[in-house]
Amino acid sequence: MWHRGEVEPERANEPNPWRCPQARTGSGKWEAGSALMKILIANRGEIAVRIVRACREMDIPTVAVFSECDRHARHVREADQAVFIGPSEAAKSYLRIDAIVDAARRTGADAVHPGYGFLAENAAFARACRDAGLTFIGPSPEVIAMMGSKTAARNAAIRAGVTVVPGTEQPFDIRTPDEAIAATAAAIGYPVMVKAVAGGGGKGMRVVERAEDLVAAIRTARSEAGAAFGDTSIYLERRIAHPRHVEIQLLGDRHGTVLPFVERECSIQRRHQKVVEESPSIAVDASLRRRMGDAAAALARSVGYTNAGTMEFLLDADGSFYFLEMNTRLQVEHPVTEMVTGLDLVQWQIRIARGEALDVDPERALTPRGHAIECRIYAEDPDQGFMPSPGLIRGLRPASGPGVRDDGGVSAGYEVPVYYDSLIAKLATWADTRDLAIDRMARALREYQVLGIPTTIPFFQWLMGRAEYREGRYDTTYLDRLLLERRGESFAEIDAAGEELMTIAAGLDAYFRASAASPASAAAAAGVPSLWLRAARKAALRE
Amino acid sequence: MTFEIELGGRSRRVAIDPAGGTRFRVTIDDVVHVVDAVRVGPSGLSLLVDGDASLSRYAEVVAGPGGESLVWLDGQSATAMVDGRRPRRHRGDAAAHAEGAQPIVAPMPGRVVRILVAPGDEVAARQPVVVVEAMKMENELRSPKAGRVKDVPVSEGASVDAGRVLVVVE
Repeated sequence: MWHRGEVEPERANEPNPWRCPQARTGSGKWEAGSALMKILIANRGEIAVRIVRACREMDIPTVAVFSECDRHARHVREADQAVFIGPSEAAKSYLRIDAIVDAARRTGADAVHPGYGFLAENAAFARACRDAGLTFIGPSPEVIAMMGSKTAARNAAIRAGVTVVPGTEQPFDIRTPDEAIAATAAAIGYPVMVKAVAGGGGKGMRVVERAEDLVAAIRTARSEAGAAFGDTSIYLERRIAHPRHVEIQLLGDRHGTVLPFVERECSIQRRHQKVVEESPSIAVDASLRRRMGDAAAALARSVGYTNAGTMEFLLDADGSFYFLEMNTRLQVEHPVTEMVTGLDLVQWQIRIARGEALDVDPERALTPRGHAIECRIYAEDPDQGFMPSPGLIRGLRPASGPGVRDDGGVSAGYEVPVYYDSLIAKLATWADTRDLAIDRMARALREYQVLGIPTTIPFFQWLMGRAEYREGRYDTTYLDRLLLERRGESFAEIDAAGEELMTIAAGLDAYFRASAASPASAAAAAGVPSLWLRAARKAALRE
Repeated sequence: MTFEIELGGRSRRVAIDPAGGTRFRVTIDDVVHVVDAVRVGPSGLSLLVDGDASLSRYAEVVAGPGGESLVWLDGQSATAMVDGRRPRRHRGDAAAHAEGAQPIVAPMPGRVVRILVAPGDEVAARQPVVVVEAMKMENELRSPKAGRVKDVPVSEGASVDAGRVLVVVE
């Protein structure tokens, strides 16, 4: 059986009732200013749901794509139509350019939103969309390719006058004499990092404080890297002692306007993966914000950037900032920017793609109103070293109420698959000040109920209570250091009374399941007034 | 009806006897509570403990992936082991004292990224022995006990299904 809204293969080529005949030019290319009529979302999960929401508010029909295990996924239900594109493995479905372009053709979609991840930063995909006459909602394939290369992006930044982390442009292979490396290290300035070109997970990485320790560090780094990755090439980079990860959101239209937004602070990371983001950053004042925004916009203009993108920077304790890399797509953490500016970034992506001019007051984009925080709720068990915890979601009640935004991607009855990223929802709160936003986040986390699988919610509840977090005393190394100190204690801090009540609940649940007797019907049969009624009567008499 | 319930690292003997209507006598290690309990939906429980309205609570209890009970109450979650249905987290503790060969298995389908030990190596309890990439994350699997690596039946780069033995420690 096919879902309502799914495209049956034999009907796929029928004329699309939503298609606007005058929208296409004779050449099959889009005219600037033409309205996008139907958008295929080449993604899944929460970001696909987020894009459907933007499209629905703009009255644009949507097409979802789905793999085998995602048949009952929330994004499939929310979109107007959904096309099956292959087996559960991402390489056979969400990463298949041909299947996705074909799905657009079959459903008469004329634009593609890639979301983030999967094919979002794949220049070949952007090119395939263009070749098929589809509008790719993002930058040009040429810009994606250029900014996707770390070295090309770094060189573009240098050309645009944006500071990069001082370091070597070319790797040193095993034949480079130590004296040559030492000369480069002196030029960069100590402390310096010796890093393996093929490195990862801290392997082949050494911090060198003094020149006399350099040669020994090179030896160890090379031998570690050779053993772990089979490549002994190294490079040098200035060590930033207490770096914060601060990034600048940008929008660029097709008429040459590039707009930088208020920064996002993403220093709360576990193994280089962001877990909490906020806007604005506690470490950035108005003047630094303007300088970072100017630098990001200058780099974007120099490469002819269009649509949404983000420049990532390392911010040093002394206020110097260094370009790290660019993400040529919508970011996971875009909601915090939307909450403090009141602007809808996804809707602007679509408007830019159809040729509209960015008529946003630059001061508004750069001036935060209040403070926003986002927690990424993952299907991971924080008490098991954040091991992924896929499985059936038996119950789901997201937080709501004042200043709360839930960007969810799952629903009750859905089985979180083992094939993809484990992000199930992004919970964001907004308030007038950072302190109030933290209080609100703690409240929202308490409300948020996911039944059936462990999630990172207890971890965030714990983190929101940490003084260093509240006071903003952290950098990108904070969380990993903190987690290393823990000795397997549970993040859920339940007191004795709570444990007693939970034990009662677990016992009664086991009793009801074992006896399969409904207590409510038993009460009705026996005609005994419940303690609830008695308590209520007592309360009424007291008044 | 009597259950052995372990929650929060403590095991309790819980006896439940009907006390008329929706009331139950819940005895936890000789402490008696009279609890009015009403099922709400398939997993909800509305509880009124000891007749005191200020102690009214709402809980949800569902079965977890390993057959354990997952309890949600007032914004907190806990895992309860009812009658020896051991939640996964306790396996490691039990294995730490186990005699004989202990397999370390893939908890979910994934790819072996790195093997950190070789047959014959001495390993400490909780020492990482293999890194498996699953759900776009690298996950370190640790040795359940101190001992010697007996076998590493997989190679780096291999795709593995859930349950596949990756390393055996004896």
